[in-house]
Amino acid sequence: MKKLIIKSVLYVFLILVLLEVLVRIFHLGKDTPTRFVDEHKVEKWVPNQNGFSVTGNRRQNFSEYRINNSGYNSYREFTPTKNKIEVALIGDSFIEGFHQDYYNSIGKKVENKLSEIEVYEYGYAGYDFADQLHLVHSYQEQFKLIDHLILGIKFSNDLTRGEYNVVYGRLALESPMNRLLKKSKLLVYCKSIGVLDPPQEMVYRLISLLKSKRETKSLSDEEIALIKKEKEESYLANFESLIAKYGYDKERYTLLLDSRITSTIFLSYLEKNNFNYIDIAQAFEATNRFTTLIYDRHWNNHGRELVGNLITEYLNKKGISKTN
Amino acid sequence: MLFNSLDFFIFLPIVFILYWFVFFKKIKLQNSFLLISSYLFYGLWDWRFLFLILASTIVDFLVGKEIYNSDSDRKRKNWLWVSVLFNIGLLGFFKYYNFFINSWVDLVSILGYELKSTWTLQIILPVGISFYTFQTMSYSLDIYYRRLTPTKDFISFATFVSFFPQLVAGPIERASNLLSQITTKRVFNYTQCTEGLKLILWGLFKKVVIADSIAPIVDDIFANYGQYPASTLILGVSLFSFQVYGDFSGYSDIAIGTAKLFGIELMSNFKFPTFSRNVAEYWQRWHVSLSTWFRHYVYIPLGGSRVSKLKSVRNIVIIFLVSGFWHGANWTFIFWGAIHAALYIPVFLMGRNRIYMNNVVAENRWFPNIKEISQILLTFILVTFSRVFFRSESITDAFGFLQQIYSNFTYETYLHPLGYRMVDYFILLGLFVLYEFRIRRDERSPFKFKSKVVRFALYTLVILGMLLFFDDNIDRSFIYFQF
Repeated sequence: MKKLIIKSVLYVFLILVLLEVLVRIFHLGKDTPTRFVDEHKVEKWVPNQNGFSVTGNRRQNFSEYRINNSGYNSYREFTPTKNKIEVALIGDSFIEGFHQDYYNSIGKKVENKLSEIEVYEYGYAGYDFADQLHLVHSYQEQFKLIDHLILGIKFSNDLTRGEYNVVYGRLALESPMNRLLKKSKLLVYCKSIGVLDPPQEMVYRLISLLKSKRETKSLSDEEIALIKKEKEESYLANFESLIAKYGYDKERYTLLLDSRITSTIFLSYLEKNNFNYIDIAQAFEATNRFTTLIYDRHWNNHGRELVGNLITEYLNKKGISKTN
Repeated sequence: MLFNSLDFFIFLPIVFILYWFVFFKKIKLQNSFLLISSYLFYGLWDWRFLFLILASTIVDFLVGKEIYNSDSDRKRKNWLWVSVLFNIGLLGFFKYYNFFINSWVDLVSILGYELKSTWTLQIILPVGISFYTFQTMSYSLDIYYRRLTPTKDFISFATFVSFFPQLVAGPIERASNLLSQITTKRVFNYTQCTEGLKLILWGLFKKVVIADSIAPIVDDIFANYGQYPASTLILGVSLFSFQVYGDFSGYSDIAIGTAKLFGIELMSNFKFPTFSRNVAEYWQRWHVSLSTWFRHYVYIPLGGSRVSKLKSVRNIVIIFLVSGFWHGANWTFIFWGAIHAALYIPVFLMGRNRIYMNNVVAENRWFPNIKEISQILLTFILVTFSRVFFRSESITDAFGFLQQIYSNFTYETYLHPLGYRMVDYFILLGLFVLYEFRIRRDERSPFKFKSKVVRFALYTLVILGMLLFFDDNIDRSFIYFQF
């Protein structure tokens, strides 16, 4: 028995080491850049990092990222001047685009069509509307030089708060323990494909068993509709509160949204108050090709192509792309 | 509790450690502990059905005694009927009741009468019922045929019925093999344990990498067969052949390996059926424990092959129809059995049904010759064709599937429903077939290589394969649990 236990432990250890080596050789696990909060309390990536983002098992999606001097994933540096035409794309992971090669981003696709403009992509996973406006406000001198700002907004996610605070939950990913765990590519890979989900679920199950059970009340359709309405109204109030605090230049700012997942209350509000927005819904509905990746809902190359086209059309229509 | 779940990987080491460190001193303790563990293992699915296992155990324990103690053949036979009727009754109710009612309604409607199927019930099929009822029946049957003396130890008998590694999907053990081991004190054996661990690893590979990764493709093709050309449908049913093999033989390997950890040897259930040279050999290699059961308790009592050719053919037909019906309460399985009978009978009539019993393909050679390759391919094609019926939801679907192959005999590149690269699966299956061919001589030693380095590399590759093909989103249950 002793021999079995000793040999088993030894084999498990050696196999883990060899697996770690193999995962590194075939680059199955993703690299994760380091994040930080700057002096303006803006959360971003530590500048000048490179790496590869991997999605799914067997590298179903493999892309290279490059964090520039400003702390965002982009092939270019952000150096706005009065002499050039610049457009800022601000948003969450869809704009951040770790799931695409940094040199094939939405901004690059727009630049390929409109050679006279520079597109600055201020994308960061989890950025909501408060993050976006706080960023613009904090770096207002820089953003004043940028000709047009496009802000990606997902109604159900991005308006849950009416004022900006640093999200410490995300920064917890930079804890010494997490950083240590991330050093093992095998662990990162296992986590990304869901191998570690069952142990996590088991822990949650045990915790919920220990906790006293809360009574769950089933809601009627009317109650659900009422809660939904209240929620939408509070999101709208958050939107109003944020633009009141940070300011919103309706001429220079445009929202990028998908009307299929946006409340009609919010859409009516935007129409009524003359907020400009680009709606991706129609173009995404019209295509018969996949617009998202296999493993998550991020746009694939075709999806990004469609978004790039819509932005290009919009900039042309607004006359922003023509040099003054 | 599934073999491929985290629960099992916590359960197994705990039971293993307690078994060898705490309950190892006396056989009574060993068996009592195994019994409790087995009931816990099963009860975590649905504790209510433990009463069925217990009822089946009590009935056959008592019947076995009565058969043995009866002084006349008539009494012995009557007691045997108690066991058979009880176990078949359980199966009949839980597995076949709705099938019989619906078939009756259909039959009556064919004759022009309208009946509403109001007698059907919402019955949950207890997991493993087809397996443990056959196992308990084998005990009474063996005593009846005077091959076995009944045990007086109820705990040992209950452990034999509910032994958790093989409780829910076999191998279906005969009392003469398993009960005799359970009534003997087990002693820790290092070699046996490592062999068990290797089998568990290989079984997991077959389940996770081969069966589970192919499942979404097969599900998609069979669910939408009307939209696909012949090339895709042929691909679908061929992949199903690998899926069902990986799934069931994977399960069996894990079961046999787990039993070894507790010092118990279960019979082999799969002996590389992919390399069978005719359908008869296929049945000597596929689900061996079930084939053996039917041979011993149905075919031979009917006269087997020692009667006239005509009667032997009748016996073969009966065996295959019953075997098909055992798999599920659906006409598709009966058709599947009938096809196998039709494929088996010519081999039997030519006297070629036993010629490959004691050898493997390319015996003493590295590669099979052209003749063997042709035989293997032909057998694979025939068996795969029959699986259209095995996999389809209904007879209409099965014929619709075949009709679609015939009417839309074209080629089109098939794209994975989830967008994965199809080439990965072709490479995987190619390597799997080559490896299985390499180890074809011994189904119980999947890593039989002299070099430690080679063995270690293989363990690592097998685990890497599982990590490469693991998919969190698919149903991980075993196909044969539904039987």
